[in-house]
Amino acid sequence: MNQFIRNNLGYLLLLAALVILPYALALITGDPLNKGLPLFVQGLMIQVFILAVFALSYDILMGHTGILSFGHALFFGTGAYTLGILVKYGQWSIPAAIVAVVIIAALESFVIGVLSLRVHGVYFAMVTLAFATVAFILVEATDFKKWTGAEDGLHGIPVPDALNPALHRTEFYFLALAFAVMVYLLVKLFVDSPSGRVWAAIRENEARATSIGYNTLVFKVQATIISGIIGALAGVLNALWNLSATPQTMGVDTTINALLMCIIGGSGTIIGPMLGAGVLQLLGYLLNLWLGSVWQLVFGLIYILLVLFVPYGIIGTWRAKNFEWRAMWRDRLQRVATGTGKSSG
Amino acid sequence: MSNILELHSIHTFIGQFHILEGVSLSVAEGSITALLGRNGAGKTTTLKSIIGLRPPREGAVRFGGADIRGRRPYDIAALGIGYVPENRAVFRALTVEENLRIAERKKDDLAKRGDLIFGLFPDLKKFIKLSAGQLSGGQQQMLAIARSLVPENRLLLIDEPSEGLAPILIEQLMESIRSLSAHTTILLVEQNFRMASQLADYYYLIDDGKSVQNGAMKDLVNDRATVQRYLGAS
Amino acid sequence: MTWLNKNRNPLITALIILIALVLAFSGKSPQTTSSIILSGVTLAALYFLVASGVSLIFGLMDVLNFAHGSLFMFGAYAGWTFYTNPRLLFNTAPILLAVLAGLALSPILARFVALPRWARWLAVLFGIAMAIFALRDFPIDKLVAMGMSMTGKIIPTAEAQEPIATMLLRIGGMFIAGAVASAATATRSAERLEAPMSRTLGIVGGLVALALITLFVRDLGEQAILGTESNWRFLLALGVGAGTGAALGALMEWGLIRPLYARPIYQILLTLGLTFVFDQVVRFVWGPAGAFMEIPQWFNTSSQDCPSDNLLLWFSQHCDSIFVMGRPFPSYRLFIILVGAIMVLGIALLLQRTRFGMIIRAGVQDSEMVEALGINVRRVFTLVFAIGAGLAGLGGVVAAPFLGVYPGMAMEFLLQAFIVVVIGGLGSIPGAVVGALLVGLARAYGDHIVLAGIQLPWMTDAISGSPAIARASTVLIMAIVLFLKPTGIFGKKE
Repeated sequence: MNQFIRNNLGYLLLLAALVILPYALALITGDPLNKGLPLFVQGLMIQVFILAVFALSYDILMGHTGILSFGHALFFGTGAYTLGILVKYGQWSIPAAIVAVVIIAALESFVIGVLSLRVHGVYFAMVTLAFATVAFILVEATDFKKWTGAEDGLHGIPVPDALNPALHRTEFYFLALAFAVMVYLLVKLFVDSPSGRVWAAIRENEARATSIGYNTLVFKVQATIISGIIGALAGVLNALWNLSATPQTMGVDTTINALLMCIIGGSGTIIGPMLGAGVLQLLGYLLNLWLGSVWQLVFGLIYILLVLFVPYGIIGTWRAKNFEWRAMWRDRLQRVATGTGKSSG
Repeated sequence: MSNILELHSIHTFIGQFHILEGVSLSVAEGSITALLGRNGAGKTTTLKSIIGLRPPREGAVRFGGADIRGRRPYDIAALGIGYVPENRAVFRALTVEENLRIAERKKDDLAKRGDLIFGLFPDLKKFIKLSAGQLSGGQQQMLAIARSLVPENRLLLIDEPSEGLAPILIEQLMESIRSLSAHTTILLVEQNFRMASQLADYYYLIDDGKSVQNGAMKDLVNDRATVQRYLGAS
Repeated sequence: MTWLNKNRNPLITALIILIALVLAFSGKSPQTTSSIILSGVTLAALYFLVASGVSLIFGLMDVLNFAHGSLFMFGAYAGWTFYTNPRLLFNTAPILLAVLAGLALSPILARFVALPRWARWLAVLFGIAMAIFALRDFPIDKLVAMGMSMTGKIIPTAEAQEPIATMLLRIGGMFIAGAVASAATATRSAERLEAPMSRTLGIVGGLVALALITLFVRDLGEQAILGTESNWRFLLALGVGAGTGAALGALMEWGLIRPLYARPIYQILLTLGLTFVFDQVVRFVWGPAGAFMEIPQWFNTSSQDCPSDNLLLWFSQHCDSIFVMGRPFPSYRLFIILVGAIMVLGIALLLQRTRFGMIIRAGVQDSEMVEALGINVRRVFTLVFAIGAGLAGLGGVVAAPFLGVYPGMAMEFLLQAFIVVVIGGLGSIPGAVVGALLVGLARAYGDHIVLAGIQLPWMTDAISGSPAIARASTVLIMAIVLFLKPTGIFGKKE
């Protein structure tokens, strides 16, 4: 147990800080939990948690299996719209709607995976982008206005009072936090499982994974389905938070956001994309305040600079540096301890 | 006799893998020099290091007296080095004629050298309009060599020409390479020791990315122990 | 027999398409059929102009360019701006050229400057600050707004134009910003060191000179352009669009994609990021709303003789439409088809009949071997990127009088181009032609069906829909092709 705490100290501290955050803010500002700054910060953090889950689902493909999807927004939007339509027009209960979301997202990702993962890697990026764009066109189309609300989006999803984010902000905050923690643990479980090791093998060298005897298509489709379901669940939470589903959830910007979070945080690490979501959300908020609408352009430029110059993200770069730094100190301490004074080089 | 090509202890990496750990050799002008070694000893990488496709990180590559290490492959090739890669890398989608034309450095190269090329490889003239993908393996190998003859190259780097060819074709190929050496210098990588020993004047042995031994070919032929040790066969 | 065997897939496809066409058009009048087919081929021509570049670039250098739709869009905006509002171009081009000139200094800077890591970051910040300072209060919105209000007329005043002196300061500032940025990123590589100093200086000097000349002739140039008759101005605009596309493409390859050849995933991440940036730039400069471009006089005359009875009469009448099978069809769309056909032919000739084409075809198989033959493959890469981007830019201007210019056109055409190349086979030009025709015809047919409504035998009412349904439905063809033959109709086995 002690060993566990020591190994995960950073994560546990982060979790504790997030749990205390609303109360700490309330204490400092003197506002109650559902007013002023505490309310606002909780709202901001709820969005961070939702996006963190979405980024994590994206990184199952990009960082852990080495598949590039450019249409991940499809799943986010699928979750949001399916829940919205079923609950609002079908009078489904929320748990039943979530089961439906899981099934639909699984089917979608299965079809896309089987169709596009048989050929060159870029096909997946291309085909997912095509499907997501088509979904975007369809939800914006006037034909289905009755259900999707076309360009305006689907608004006024009825939820029981206990889930209403306006009435019970703090409860929703903990719901979103619990959701993010659960998904984190789940993804960690997947990545450390035998399947996860095959994913890593595919990422490093697919030809070799095939030659060892794995049917890589099966594992790639598996990763796609898991990622799709988690992405759709993030979409569900987003719909519950906003009580709406808008075409933007399907748009290519949503995918780029996920990508950016993974790159900022460090793709292929589990915590990285989640931290990336935090950084992106806060940075986006500040830049928006400071620059107005130009911030999106600035964002794009930052993205390009990151791709060119900081490809391993915050966590990746930090781990590399941390490793070097520790090695240096270990070396120095050893020299002091053995009294040699000079290292052999 | 002067050396047209000299390698001084070159080190080449592919990714993080240290493939060549100090290969040195020199090729005398007008000779056929064989580069021998086991599979994976670094022979192909040595040729690629010379032509610049796998640029060495350390050491010197001197061609005609000038250091060419670090220069781009097209630049190195233009100095007069022809490269014939393994596995008969002809352009399958191009016709035989186009495969030759693409190697031209001046507009009339093929016209000038046509007699020499088609004299050596009369089959190619027959199939000149055919796409190279339709040729047999042996013909493709001839084409790959012919391609390196289109410009007036002072040095040819030939990688495993006999690989996968029937014995009768190997005989033909040896004949062609022998007559080639009247026109140019050749550095030959060859697994087939019998073929290499009959063609080459000098040899260099590399093992595990390092030069281990060199000398006149006729001495190596008699040195059964070395052949056994480094090449595993006789 | 071998020929039959070799071309089995395309032949089977052709047969299926033929049957589909016969089924689709049975029961329709020849007038309807011909107008649907012509509309389809019009769209196909535009799709081809985008898809062929995607395919060429992927075939040769394995880079899937997600920014290709944006190049199409930039071509459209550049051509349209040149046509209606050259003042915007004359006042912004010098500034852009100045940054480029600064960046082009990098080989020289790499030789003399080797900044430590912290200084590089400092230099980046300084460069950004310099750029912001140099662009402060630039009246971009006024310049743009002029184009919206005074379409194609000569404006005698100096409205929205800054004095030459101010512009010179801005140009100087941007040159310094570019130079600082290139010093920040300059690395000492053997290749760069080799580049002769004189060539670098020539490039930099040329760019600076071009910037200054553009600035000093801005009034004369604007009058000359706006004074040109609309037809010739339109032809020039085509050139400007294609040139803008080509220049952007070459820059992209040289500056952004080339450093990433060792990290292929990052290349496409980068191109996706560029679509985002380009989209934002267009929204920032020209606003989120679109605009229409007028159809040039040749295709835009109306008199009592119009529409022209046939193509020959049209040459003297220049009517806005021509009777085809008894139904008028816009003559400008026939021009689009003509441009598409010329480009198909042009690409075919380039690939099959020229040495450059031969090098491309060889490079598709093995670019290392091509380089080992003494050919500078990197230059070929840049050129092919420029050609592909130029085709897209040309397509953008051709499309502008037909569809207008709007920020969404990048995504729309990228999507259709991807569907086209997946259907035809990524990397294959014949595939791009067939794919474009298929998608174009399907779109036109879908538009027709959706507007007319579908009434299957068991239905009481016809179902009609919006064009969005037709737009979306092309993805179904892609799904079917992927399911039956994942590499596309003309694709090779992996």
